[in-house]
Amino acid sequence: MPTQSDDLLWISSLRFLLKHPWQLALSILGVALGVAMVVSIDLSNSSAQRAFSLSAEAVAGKATHEIVGGGEQLSEQVYRHLRIDGGIRNAAPVVQGFGRLDGLARSFQILGVDPIAEGPFRDFSSQESGIDLASFIQGSATGLVSNPVLQELALEVNDTVGVSVGGVVVPIRIVGTIEVANERTEQALESVLVVDISTAQRLFDMRGDLSRIDLILSAEQQEQQDQLQIIRSLLPDGVEVQYAGSSSETLAQMTRAFELNLQALSLLALLVGMFLIYNTMTFSVVQRLPLIGRMRALGVTKSEILAMIMREAVLVGLIGTMVGIASGIALAQLLVRLVTQSINDLYFVLSVQELTITPGPILKATLLGLGATVLAAFWPAREASEAQVTTVLKRSNRESALMKRLPRFTGLGIVLGLVGGSLLLIPSGGIVVGYISLLLVIIGFSLTIPACMVGLASLFRPVLGALNGIIGTMSVQGLLSELSRTSVPVAALVVAVASTVGVGVMVDSFRVTVVSWLESQLQADIYVQPPSSVARFADAELLPELVEVLQQTQGVERVHSVYSETITANFGPTNLVTTSLGALAQQTYEIKRAESGFWDRFPNQRVVMVSEVYAYRHSVSLGDTIQLQTDKGLQEFLIEAMYYDYASDLGSVTMNREVYDRFYDNRAISGLALYASEGTPVEVLVERLRERADGLQEVFIRSNRGLREASIEIFDRTFTVTYVLRLLAVIVAFVGILSSLMALQLERAREHAVLRANGMTPGQLWNYVIVQTGVMGGMAGILSLPLGVIISYVLVYVINLRSFGWTLEFLVSPSLLFQAFGLAVLAALLAGMYPSIKMAQANPAHALRSE
Amino acid sequence: MRNSNIVDLRKLNKSYDEGTKKRHVLRDLELEVAQGQMLVLLGRSGSGKSTLLNLLSGIDRPDSGQVMIDGTDISLLTEKERTLFRRTHIGFVFQAFNLISTLTAYENIVLPLRLQGKKDVATEQLALHFLEEVGLADRKDSYPDRLSGGEQQRVAIARALAHEPSFILADEPTGNLDYKTGSKILSMLADLVRKNGRTMIIATHDREMGQIADRVLELQEGQLQEYKAIQES
Repeated sequence: MPTQSDDLLWISSLRFLLKHPWQLALSILGVALGVAMVVSIDLSNSSAQRAFSLSAEAVAGKATHEIVGGGEQLSEQVYRHLRIDGGIRNAAPVVQGFGRLDGLARSFQILGVDPIAEGPFRDFSSQESGIDLASFIQGSATGLVSNPVLQELALEVNDTVGVSVGGVVVPIRIVGTIEVANERTEQALESVLVVDISTAQRLFDMRGDLSRIDLILSAEQQEQQDQLQIIRSLLPDGVEVQYAGSSSETLAQMTRAFELNLQALSLLALLVGMFLIYNTMTFSVVQRLPLIGRMRALGVTKSEILAMIMREAVLVGLIGTMVGIASGIALAQLLVRLVTQSINDLYFVLSVQELTITPGPILKATLLGLGATVLAAFWPAREASEAQVTTVLKRSNRESALMKRLPRFTGLGIVLGLVGGSLLLIPSGGIVVGYISLLLVIIGFSLTIPACMVGLASLFRPVLGALNGIIGTMSVQGLLSELSRTSVPVAALVVAVASTVGVGVMVDSFRVTVVSWLESQLQADIYVQPPSSVARFADAELLPELVEVLQQTQGVERVHSVYSETITANFGPTNLVTTSLGALAQQTYEIKRAESGFWDRFPNQRVVMVSEVYAYRHSVSLGDTIQLQTDKGLQEFLIEAMYYDYASDLGSVTMNREVYDRFYDNRAISGLALYASEGTPVEVLVERLRERADGLQEVFIRSNRGLREASIEIFDRTFTVTYVLRLLAVIVAFVGILSSLMALQLERAREHAVLRANGMTPGQLWNYVIVQTGVMGGMAGILSLPLGVIISYVLVYVINLRSFGWTLEFLVSPSLLFQAFGLAVLAALLAGMYPSIKMAQANPAHALRSE
Repeated sequence: MRNSNIVDLRKLNKSYDEGTKKRHVLRDLELEVAQGQMLVLLGRSGSGKSTLLNLLSGIDRPDSGQVMIDGTDISLLTEKERTLFRRTHIGFVFQAFNLISTLTAYENIVLPLRLQGKKDVATEQLALHFLEEVGLADRKDSYPDRLSGGEQQRVAIARALAHEPSFILADEPTGNLDYKTGSKILSMLADLVRKNGRTMIIATHDREMGQIADRVLELQEGQLQEYKAIQES
């Protein structure tokens, strides 16, 4: 209930905050750093999502439905049949793919259209939008880009740009620009090249084929059903009509787990930020206990005290949130590039040219920043208001109260940890449940930290006593006598360092697993691949003449090929990999489980193997069947083996080439593995192959080692964003410990002055303070190791499995643990440096005089 | 007779836990203070003076017994009710002055009035009037750390009187001051209390303070005895 006394209490509060600017700045920084992390990740994710949906929307246009082929392609006869025999007028053929424009460092979506049919679908590519039909479809390769792209390329209309698709460069003459109605469409089309359908067919080697046929069907339910019935009756086997946007929705879903994991990491930073806020608010309250006691004696009620402190927290939260949002936006400029890079490496081509700032993430950050501050400040505020007026005037009560509550705290921590642990056992729990349980484990562990510190002190005390005499013993004892204050920064440091251990172990485990998998997967001496738009996918093909030339190169003893394409299965779009290895595939594929006699059947029977990720995502197992759209219609294949595969988190299905050729007319090859004949050095052969490929197609010809290194490079690149977030979490913790230690040491100015008055030299005082902060760092370092290992265990066996379905080797490297311990001690020592110097230089007379 | 008493304590008991033992500070203590009386409460350190003041102000509650202040048994009130009661009925003068360091001299005086919801011009004038009464009108915008000990205690006296409480509790009001300043402050406090018709209880170990009092009591072994009676015996 606000009273008129509020203003004076509030004025008193504000003056207190302004009298302690460092403390205020550090609290604000704590909130700001946490909020900045959340905002930057959210904005990066939402910008990527928005760019994706804008481009999907613009490219899909006003289509309500689309017709897609079973295999990769759809015959253009279907379109003719539909239009002429079926009388379906609102239909437009589309050939779509990815390529690169010379001079620009990003992939472009190449949209092949028929401008005459485009009218009802896409405003920018229709005859009505002003496309000069004569030059656009004159037969030679021509195209349109948006005005900003033309400027970026520093070209003018009628200039020619080289367009590279799968390593083959085709010159395209820009005959005009895409006229966009608004900025939104302009943004969506900033990475789109519109070409005539026949040009696109040539570019993607799809003569006579289409990617899809867009349709606009009636909005009226019954009429739409009738239209669909007619259309379906005209479609050949394996060709389907579906809602427009189904494919893009499926694509968008792929990145959800990836984005969720990034968000979780950013929330971890906010959690560490909360420790910081809790700590500074506690300090602010403890410092003011005599003042609060006086106010209480004068008749200020508990609720007025609570309201006063909470109001301060809201102010700190508001300023911190605003600073955090501003810095989050700046940070997002960097992160969006990393996130986009990871999405491009892992999932699909996405170009995010600029950050999209929408109210959603800003509102979420405001609520989180304010909420976290209020939540973190509530307990110190409540403690201040609950204290009796008589006890408020006595400081030591607080410590004795904490010591008394220690068993309860520890017990609660253990219970929370156990609850978190048991949540992990729920088999159907998703990623969110996984993170909630992880959060409970972290909070539970944090609550046991004061008790752990008491235990560790008995180890530190004799050691430091022996090494540093009375000062060493005093340093340790000082931590325990102020446990309510010292345990919070230690907990913050433990959580931050543990999270770096957790993420570090997870990435290490992942890396080691991938390296060992690559070693078994890459058995051949040399690999040939065309450049692809998505680093981890082979979405381009090798020219048949190139394959021929390479196979017949001197020194090549044996060759096998792979082909990878996305086809429709009963579980949705599926990456189908075909290998020409036959039974020899057992030497390269690491099999998790297989039916007996599988390798006898694999070369020529209707059996496939699926990656463990595919099995996990679609809940399939050995003995199940998978239905694949083939050129011979929908066909069933028996799943008889499951293999480890870390190339993609979307999973894949592998079939022998001989079987594939029976069901598909496509003879394309997307990769070659070559074995050098005895006596031919691999590097010499690589050079020879490169010379022979020159002028035919731009391809990567790499030795086994080269490919392995390239793969690891991509792997590391996809984790860059994780490393950046981890680093930011450490910075938050560092600021946390810095503020806590500064606050703690400044608060002890009087005690230090007494020590100085009793003959302690400035050097000894420096020693005392720095040893104390070092001990805090040491304790945090030790305690962060078990928590870090627990976090990594949950990340590897629960979060990773639920997000991606991978089985990873769990690897805890001692050097990582050693680094973490070092990090904690170093952070604490650095943070203690300033207060220790300041304390040593302070005039004891001043500290003794001041109240 | 009892109805005209501003303070009426009956069978008051208070003890504290000290490890496994219980220390009885007040034992069946009885006290009546009439309206306008000035009472000095003597006692050695640890005799229970501060405990008694805490009970009188409602900061603490007795184990048993009645604490009637201005007709209200405050031992029966909730914590919040006692705080609100203190806000309107009691003025404090502490040994350590206990001014709010983040408020100016004037704001310290006006705070109890504002706590009561008074925000009009008359309130401000009342605060300024008491500031003048203690001779610090020219220091109204000074913060406590800019004032001397004597000046701080003068502000505390003005703060204790400004909201016109039923009675004033002073705990060693001159304990932190030199003899000369202490004497000046004490006579200023006594004059102002009498001039405004207030009741006051001063807790001290300084027997000389008895000179300004209407009554002098000594707290011994948890009970109060008239000081003159002690002297005579």
